[in-house]
Amino acid sequence: MTTPRSRYRLGVCLVAVALASTACASSSGGSTPTGGNPPGKTADVATWALPPNTVPNWIWPFTPIANFSVTNASTFQWLMYRPLYWFGDSSGGPSINPDLSLANLPVYSDGGRTVTITLKPYAWSNGEKVSSADVLFWINMERAEKANYAGYVPGQFPDNVTSATAPDGSTVVLKLNAAYSQQWFTYNQLGQITPMPTAWDVTSTSTTGACAALVSGCAAVYQYMLAQTKDLPTYATNPLWQVVDGPWKLASFNADGHLSFVPNPAYSGAQKPTLKKLVMAPFTTDSAEFNVLRSGQTLDVGYLPTQDVTKAKAAGSGPATAGPNPLGSNYSLAPLFLYGINYFPLNFNNPTVGPIFKQLYFRQALQSVVDQNSIITAAAKGYGVPTTGPIPTYPDSPLVSTLEKQNPYPFSLDAARAYLTGHGWNVVPGGTTTCTRPGTGPTDCGAGIAAGQKLSFDLQYASGQQTIDTAMQSLKSNAAQVGIRLTLDAAPFNTVTATAVPCSGPKCTWQLGNWGGGWAYSPDYYPTGESIFSSGAGSNSGSFSDPSIDGLIHATNVQSGTAAMLAYEDALAKALPVIWQPNYTYSLTEVANGLHGVTPQNPFGGITPESWHF
Amino acid sequence: MIGYLLRRVAQSVAVVLVVTIIVFLLLHHLPGGPARAVLGNRATPQQLAQFSQQNGLDRPVPIQYLDYLRRWLTGDFGFSYKLNQTVGSLLRQRLPKTLILNALALIFTIAVAVPVGIYQAVRRNRIFDYTATGLSFVCYAAPTFFLGLILVLLFAQDLNLLPAEAPQSDGVLPIFADFRAMILPIVTLALLSIAGFSRYMRSAVLDNITQDYVRTARSKGCSSARVLRAHVLRNALVPIATLVGLSLPALFAGALVTESIFNFPGMGLLFWQAAQTSDYPVELGVVLVTAVATVVGSLLADVSYVLLDPRVRFS
Amino acid sequence: MSLNPAYLAGDPGGVGLVESPPDEPAGSASGLPAGRPRSMLRLGAAVFAQNRLAVAGLVIVVLLVLFCFAGPLVYHTNQADVNLADAALRPGAGHPLGTDETGYDELGRLMVGGRVSLEIGFAAAAIATGIGALWGAVAGFFGGLVDAVLMRVVDALLAIPILFLLLFLVTIVRPSVTVMIVVLGLTAWLIPARLVRGESLTLRVREYVQAVRMMGGTSWRAVLRHIMPNVAGTVIVNATFQVADAILLIAYLGYLGLGISPPATDWGGMLSNGTNFIFPDYWWLIYPPGIAIVVVVVAVNFVGDGLRDAVEVRLRRR
Repeated sequence: MTTPRSRYRLGVCLVAVALASTACASSSGGSTPTGGNPPGKTADVATWALPPNTVPNWIWPFTPIANFSVTNASTFQWLMYRPLYWFGDSSGGPSINPDLSLANLPVYSDGGRTVTITLKPYAWSNGEKVSSADVLFWINMERAEKANYAGYVPGQFPDNVTSATAPDGSTVVLKLNAAYSQQWFTYNQLGQITPMPTAWDVTSTSTTGACAALVSGCAAVYQYMLAQTKDLPTYATNPLWQVVDGPWKLASFNADGHLSFVPNPAYSGAQKPTLKKLVMAPFTTDSAEFNVLRSGQTLDVGYLPTQDVTKAKAAGSGPATAGPNPLGSNYSLAPLFLYGINYFPLNFNNPTVGPIFKQLYFRQALQSVVDQNSIITAAAKGYGVPTTGPIPTYPDSPLVSTLEKQNPYPFSLDAARAYLTGHGWNVVPGGTTTCTRPGTGPTDCGAGIAAGQKLSFDLQYASGQQTIDTAMQSLKSNAAQVGIRLTLDAAPFNTVTATAVPCSGPKCTWQLGNWGGGWAYSPDYYPTGESIFSSGAGSNSGSFSDPSIDGLIHATNVQSGTAAMLAYEDALAKALPVIWQPNYTYSLTEVANGLHGVTPQNPFGGITPESWHF
Repeated sequence: MIGYLLRRVAQSVAVVLVVTIIVFLLLHHLPGGPARAVLGNRATPQQLAQFSQQNGLDRPVPIQYLDYLRRWLTGDFGFSYKLNQTVGSLLRQRLPKTLILNALALIFTIAVAVPVGIYQAVRRNRIFDYTATGLSFVCYAAPTFFLGLILVLLFAQDLNLLPAEAPQSDGVLPIFADFRAMILPIVTLALLSIAGFSRYMRSAVLDNITQDYVRTARSKGCSSARVLRAHVLRNALVPIATLVGLSLPALFAGALVTESIFNFPGMGLLFWQAAQTSDYPVELGVVLVTAVATVVGSLLADVSYVLLDPRVRFS
Repeated sequence: MSLNPAYLAGDPGGVGLVESPPDEPAGSASGLPAGRPRSMLRLGAAVFAQNRLAVAGLVIVVLLVLFCFAGPLVYHTNQADVNLADAALRPGAGHPLGTDETGYDELGRLMVGGRVSLEIGFAAAAIATGIGALWGAVAGFFGGLVDAVLMRVVDALLAIPILFLLLFLVTIVRPSVTVMIVVLGLTAWLIPARLVRGESLTLRVREYVQAVRMMGGTSWRAVLRHIMPNVAGTVIVNATFQVADAILLIAYLGYLGLGISPPATDWGGMLSNGTNFIFPDYWWLIYPPGIAIVVVVVAVNFVGDGLRDAVEVRLRRR
């Protein structure tokens, strides 16, 4: 018979040894890496890490909804094909940047109904000038194929342009169907335009098209360009894509995300690239990227996953101030916020709980149990800003009102309780709050709410992100203190975005849906919010509808100046169409020591590697 | 035998079709629908309707399935809007990488597990046996994602011996040029199988060593080593052959965790990302490939099964 | 891991089939075996008890069950309220294993997670083995068309990637413990089905089974009263391995984000959550659940090995 005891003992010893060695391994995990060359050893090539699980796959600036992303637009197309106007100024704020734009600031006349755009002297790499015909090419293409363009909103650009003409090679004159807010029109309407070279106005390799001249000629050109864009392996070789007006040209392209750019020698902008080559590296997950970043050998610009921040930064430091950097020996930390807000919608059209959601006091109560500051400190290690209204509070700008800065609904369990008890609810901390005074009076529960109805809801959220997990658990726990029962359901991102959509009728059964990302104001750079908060808008997930808000939004589209924006902002912040959530950094960018010019970063995700130098 | 094989092949084709039908039906019952999945939550109802209409998604489901079938037969596996590539080209990119990784892992597994198992059986109940059993239990019991991360931490970060990611080159041949970077992914993938295979090997060799024919051979003067090689090994490798046959589907299916950790996008990640983004054509394409591999593997396993035990008739 | 190696090696004697001794109780007058004889059970138990590893495994499993189910009665922690101010504390006063990133006490979490892991593991294994064994026995016994159809169904289901099925089910139903048990059970029955089918293929050609049919016993009777008990050994062994596999599969699902929704958790979910924090070195979130998984899987495997040895009386000398 065997002697199992000694066999067992030996087995256990060996297991213990194995585990101990791994314990030793990971206990030094917090120390700074030793060995390995510092990045940047080839002083004219920079390697940039693509966001996890994302690779550029659409080169033509006329992007359909399916492929519209920060990766495709801001970090791929914009390097080669400059948009007419560039947003993101030299200090990292969200305003228009005249230096990087292809045209001077638009001039409004005739009571705001005529816009004159004067192009700067830029050239395409094939020798042709960037001319007004190129702008009309885009406008005509958008007119013909607006259903296929990601940024199109019915009734807006180019529907609101009654005529577009080019008096000469560098002027475009647009006549509009009404007077619009100059800020809104410049940012959200003209911001859609990317001039396209006449080299693209073709229907085959030998036949020219007629899109720049006539809208009717665009359909054929669209089909041809679409076919070219669907041919990924040819992105670096197709002569069409080699016609660029931006500082970079695609040198090599691989569908798995390995690509490289070389400078465009014909670039007309003031800042010419000094690097000889820009390489992009794809990663499956952020931890795979972090492993490579730690080795300090390949990446020049990467990102630090939030969960790997070892020490939270000092309380009270600004949102974009970098705290202790675990990779400090090779990199410096530059937090990047996208210009946007974070929230999750409530389904106002849900047959059973919709009536509860429609009551403002309930939304006020629910917002008051969201502890944004604690979540930012604990889960995001300080790298976040609270969202208090439709205008992002960071970076600061004249658009941020005092009300938003003060936060009309800070975290307060007492306030939440007061909202509920003041409207006829029996608050049961730890249990379920029920309605004891149904009715429509000022202190009653409200229309459509039955006696004894419970505050019990399903909250589906996107799994896979530490910060969101923690935020949702914190919300559930705090809400329980006032008897609001939230049942959490972690699901893949796509499931949440497929479920939390505008709907109505008996099948409209989703209640609360949090995809974790909120809304980034791009390409709607001026945050007037008509796509998300006006009645019936395509991205108004919860079907929020308030005619007075609609009126205020409309005012922001037609009245220039900040007064209309402030009025809209305050009204919406108070009306709580959605439940605000902390806005986390888009990326904790790590820049190799020795590489300069990467900061300040663009709040719409754009990169300008022509300013990078070792 | 031929009759049996023909019948089984016919059945396998039926199985593959049934699999695709089931998956197709399930996909079309997911909430949101394919149009919403492609266009995302910024899409307006008109855009959704137009997309559905342009891509024939508003036709009845059986018609859509037959259309898919017809296109598959002509080699058109569909188009992924999200990734802007044909499914065929995605499979062509990812399948070779997966095959290389998994085949190398299988070879490594056999190369390690067979000698270890034999040695364990021959020198049973000694130190080596206990050590190997202990380690094999740990490798089997610790989840792959945990083991993989520990390996990366140990070898790539702290000891700095191996790169943290698999070769990033395009295509298969350059992988062999940067072979150091494949070591960790192969080992991570193989550890679990080595644990299982070596236990089977040990068990199989032991079964044979206690057989009468071994005693007879020894009593006739054959040396232990000769007996081992000529008789025991041949019989003991039979279960390994069966296990290899059963591993055939895995060769094509990819290894999600390993690909994720080591930044080596293969079939596993392709399927996973497609499932997460509801990219139906890609999911269907991968399911098709895996289904074919599975039925082939199961056919091979059944044939070897019948060869093993002559009493089991071809029924 | 659940294939029976003795069978694969072509053991001519079959597995688990032992002729019954002549003093069989009334009801099987011709001395045919009518199920596992009592003395066989005692013999098996004796063999098991002699295998110290198996006994150790059993003891460990029992201790873990006590830890998870009775532990919270002794060691009270708040597993419902988040406490962000106390997030990610190192082990120390008040928290023997520290806290996790939402402030829950880690030791208490281990108990809660263990309950879920063990419940899912055992229940899913029971369902899977039950369905699989019956399916395989019927297929193997009847043979012919029945066998072909049943086994092709198994092949078809095996060919569907399990991730897809799980992802589909997760989007349809919210993943609670019951749902996970059913899902895992329904995906794991395929291997026992193949295994038992293989066994019953050989068993049905056994003389005694043919004798039953000759004597007019129905096929169902033969399946239920003769085939099933004789494959019981293999089935039990396979069931124990299924427990281990189910626990590992739940861990894998947690890593993929398809696991149980918070605040409920299981060891696998805790481990995959902990692996996010390898670099900041929150070792108390990583090693306790990891070791717990390894220990329970190893212990269950020891028990399974012991059971297999008990079942294969012939091969216990090794």
